[in-house]
Amino acid sequence: MSEQSLVMKALTDVTLKRRSFLKWSAALSGTAALSGGLSRKLGPAPSEFARAAASEGEWITAACWHNCGGQRCLLKAQVVDGVVKKVKTDDTHPDSIELPQIRGCARGRAQAQHVFGADRLKYPMKRKNWAPGGGKKELRGRDEWERISWDEALDLIADELKRIIDTYGNEGILEVGSTLGGVFTLLGGAVRPWGTTSWGTWYYTGDIVGLGDGLTNTTHNDRIELQKSNLIVIWGGNPAWSAQGNNMKYFLDAKRAGAKFIFIDPFYNDSAMILADEWFPVRPATDHALALGMAYTLITEDDPVNNPLIDWDFLNRCCIGFDADHMPEGADPKDNFKDYVLGTYDGQPKTPEWAAEICGLTPKQIRYLARTIGSTPKVSLLTAWAPARVNDADSWPHMFMTLGAMTGHIGKSGSCTGVSCWERSADGGPFLIGAGGAGNPRVQNENAIRTQINNGELWNAVLTGQYTAGYNDVRNVNIQAIIHDGSSGLNQKVGMTKGIEAHRKVEFVLSINLFLNTNSKYSDIVLPATTQWERYGYLKGNRDHLIWARQITEPLFEAKDDSWIAAELAKRLGLDADLVAGLPLQQQIFNQLAGAWVLKDNGVDRENLLTITAEDIAEMGVEGEPQEGRITLQEFKEQGIYVVPRKDGDNFGYIALKDFRDDPEANPRKTESGLMEIYCPAQQKMIHDFGFTEVDPIPTYNRPREGYEDTFEDWENKVKGEYPFQLFTIHYRRRSHSIFDNVPWLREAFPQEFIMNPLDAEALGLKHGDIAKISSRHGTVIRPVFITERIRPGVVTLGEGAWAEIDEETGIDRAGATNTLNGAYTTGQGHQGWNSCNVKIERYGGPDALEQDYLWEQRIPIKEA
Amino acid sequence: MATQKAFYFDASACNGCKACMIACKSKNALPVGVNFRRVLQYGGGAWVPDPEYPDFLQPSGLFAYSLSVACMHCQNAPCVNICPAKAIEKRDDGIVLVDEDKCIGCHYCEWACPYGAPQFDADKGTMIKCDFCVDLIDQGEAPYCVASCPMRALDFGELDELRAKYGTVSAVAPLPPADLTDPAFVMTPHRDAQPVGQGTGRIYDDEV
Repeated sequence: MSEQSLVMKALTDVTLKRRSFLKWSAALSGTAALSGGLSRKLGPAPSEFARAAASEGEWITAACWHNCGGQRCLLKAQVVDGVVKKVKTDDTHPDSIELPQIRGCARGRAQAQHVFGADRLKYPMKRKNWAPGGGKKELRGRDEWERISWDEALDLIADELKRIIDTYGNEGILEVGSTLGGVFTLLGGAVRPWGTTSWGTWYYTGDIVGLGDGLTNTTHNDRIELQKSNLIVIWGGNPAWSAQGNNMKYFLDAKRAGAKFIFIDPFYNDSAMILADEWFPVRPATDHALALGMAYTLITEDDPVNNPLIDWDFLNRCCIGFDADHMPEGADPKDNFKDYVLGTYDGQPKTPEWAAEICGLTPKQIRYLARTIGSTPKVSLLTAWAPARVNDADSWPHMFMTLGAMTGHIGKSGSCTGVSCWERSADGGPFLIGAGGAGNPRVQNENAIRTQINNGELWNAVLTGQYTAGYNDVRNVNIQAIIHDGSSGLNQKVGMTKGIEAHRKVEFVLSINLFLNTNSKYSDIVLPATTQWERYGYLKGNRDHLIWARQITEPLFEAKDDSWIAAELAKRLGLDADLVAGLPLQQQIFNQLAGAWVLKDNGVDRENLLTITAEDIAEMGVEGEPQEGRITLQEFKEQGIYVVPRKDGDNFGYIALKDFRDDPEANPRKTESGLMEIYCPAQQKMIHDFGFTEVDPIPTYNRPREGYEDTFEDWENKVKGEYPFQLFTIHYRRRSHSIFDNVPWLREAFPQEFIMNPLDAEALGLKHGDIAKISSRHGTVIRPVFITERIRPGVVTLGEGAWAEIDEETGIDRAGATNTLNGAYTTGQGHQGWNSCNVKIERYGGPDALEQDYLWEQRIPIKEA
Repeated sequence: MATQKAFYFDASACNGCKACMIACKSKNALPVGVNFRRVLQYGGGAWVPDPEYPDFLQPSGLFAYSLSVACMHCQNAPCVNICPAKAIEKRDDGIVLVDEDKCIGCHYCEWACPYGAPQFDADKGTMIKCDFCVDLIDQGEAPYCVASCPMRALDFGELDELRAKYGTVSAVAPLPPADLTDPAFVMTPHRDAQPVGQGTGRIYDDEV
């Protein structure tokens, strides 16, 4: 039976209004055209397609709503009779450096294949061998699925939640996502995970030492200032993969304006491919050692007159803790950073030779980097979060800030030090435009429990019943329900193999999702949610633009909005369903539109973005007041985007920390002293209080768990151990974390390859395209080998976010989900050390030993006859 | 003089993101396995002991670049010449089109094309390929791939105008020599581009 008729059968089982039915079936013929493979024969032939698509229908701005790290790009869908024919990107205005089109990436261009995927969840389901209390719990992940009605599903969930809370209390429930957050708050709370994710250790350390976390607080200059740099250092960043959209173009603009680029990275990545003038192949998880070797060079070679490498003025005025003369009151002067680097008291100078043994660059390269960065007038010293996603790396952001402070590349035109990544890649500074608030009432409950368990301990806590609540504070917990309300928590947290065990231990697992992703696969009840394309609207933007996306299609199959699901559960639990659901979405969107603002040309004052008339309000069917603004609501609706034009010398430029450099007393950092704290007791205390590990008040080197040193059985004598390779796990173009992993076009374009150097491959007898078996201390995956000189020998990499496909017999994950390999550790601030992982590699077979994953059967849970 | 529509590609700007390839698949509703536009990654080099520090390996002559390649709408198109069904024609503006009503699906064009442009449509049993988005071109709009590129690495226009604007390079390794088919193609080479026929690298994403 063809996919379309499967879908049609599903549809005819549902009572539908005729109008919706027509819309759905129209949308489904679009599905057939877009889902590829077998179903392609149901779609129009390309030439007919081209003819039909040329002049019909409406172009509607379509949401691209993912946590992608990209630019927040414009998509438009051509909708003809309810069918999405094509997707395009920004053509609303001519393209220029000052007013760029906000162009999307491959994932956005495949969005229709995601939304209309044949593997969308169609209706609520329960696991065949599930019963209240768990049933055959060990069958989670391998059981059959049964279709159930929404009423049955919601009743079962409500009954299980009540039973579990009655038996175990609210601490019996672990809420991993957030779409049912209001329900659990009113219900008395639930256990929730905590811990930094993408940020690594920048999340807490960045701010507390006096720099910034790189998202809420950016300390890199804006994209126009970037073009004034003589040198741009990208340390552990690959915006071409992790910040897609325009961000890489902004770096290219800077290159074409004359900036030289240095990349410090284990991988000669695709960003380096077009930008790098020089590449320094540092080992993963050793950046801190490299930076210390550079600091040693700066300190020992600096001569304020003949060879000025250090900005003493900045260090003396704007920082504390660099040397014995600038220590805070009460601190031992011997504990200063300079004497640590020189080894004055610990007997170990952090020379380039010392650093070289760890980081893999030669002493000469380390000196060159220090001299070049120290002596070049205008340097943007940029890093991404990746080097901080390393076990025990809590002092790395502190070290990076210190290097920036020493070389003085802070607070000047063309110079800055900070994180440039995610949606803020290549463009720092406060937003120039933004949406208003949705206006939902806050769901509050003072009596709700607030128990939190760190991501690194989460699954272990489910299995052992214990977790760390702080320093010397281990507590008991008995989790019996895992609620995946809109998350990919099982696939996307370290220690997935333990996570699966945990899922098979508890009495109840619920997942709300679009697909049978990893969470859903190991659940008892699965509910289908709508995508943003099936909802009234969505607003999203970035520093200099705002997008209003509108509904593209009616909800597919029986999918429901998250707010509807929450409200229906609330009803069954005797809670305030209206409060949980929030305002009608139209009203929320209207509130965001009415509150949308844009900076005036003076760069200080805000004005309304939109003029809204009484007719607009009536047309939207919402409550509100007419208002005056820069453009009309109808213009914004038609264009779908407003971009703030930029030019050099306008009032929107951003030189990060200029006010601080000019007058640190009047513009203090948010540290205890108001200065940048190279000696930072608050950082030491914060890490101590988390209760996992300790750091010094200055950025000393902490040997990471599963870093380079741990690839040795005997580090002193350099005897390699059982897991001799370093794996780092990168953001991968196929996906936005785990989202899009199931899209066949993207699977074909980006094959989830295992990247390694030819010297290593040859030694292991592996050829390009062979299937490698990669094992860590925590799990095993198999993937095709991609041999390239672009990666440093001894180092291998694999994209994060693939949906685990674990063989029940062998335990081998053939999808190559990196959290199968990444172990669960709790270090420092409870971040996840995805870039510190030791592996061993063997040949599993030739290319035929594993089919390319774009040819894999899609996860369609119920195959109907 | 007859006109000739052509593509321009800037290898110094392309980071291999494949937005062009997926935009093309979306526009033409292509299934997996059929691609009118593809992005190749070509590179090479070696790792050798550092001359001063022999325990440290260093990259030597390492290079990599990406090439976005579709039908070149060649001026001397082998597909047109070889087709036994006379199903492939060159329009007045130089765009090479397959007439699916005439095509017998014999694959000769696929074998004759050094760029791998013609693809087989298994459902219809005919060959299909990049049609330069003629529907859009005829309305004065840009082909989908060109309008999609986040790096602004693609352009299109009349061949002689593109040559005047961007120069006359139309091939680097591993592309076939331009004199083979006289492709309607102009490119800016990557800084590490290697000459046609003398490349020391390999196509990285060939087999995986």
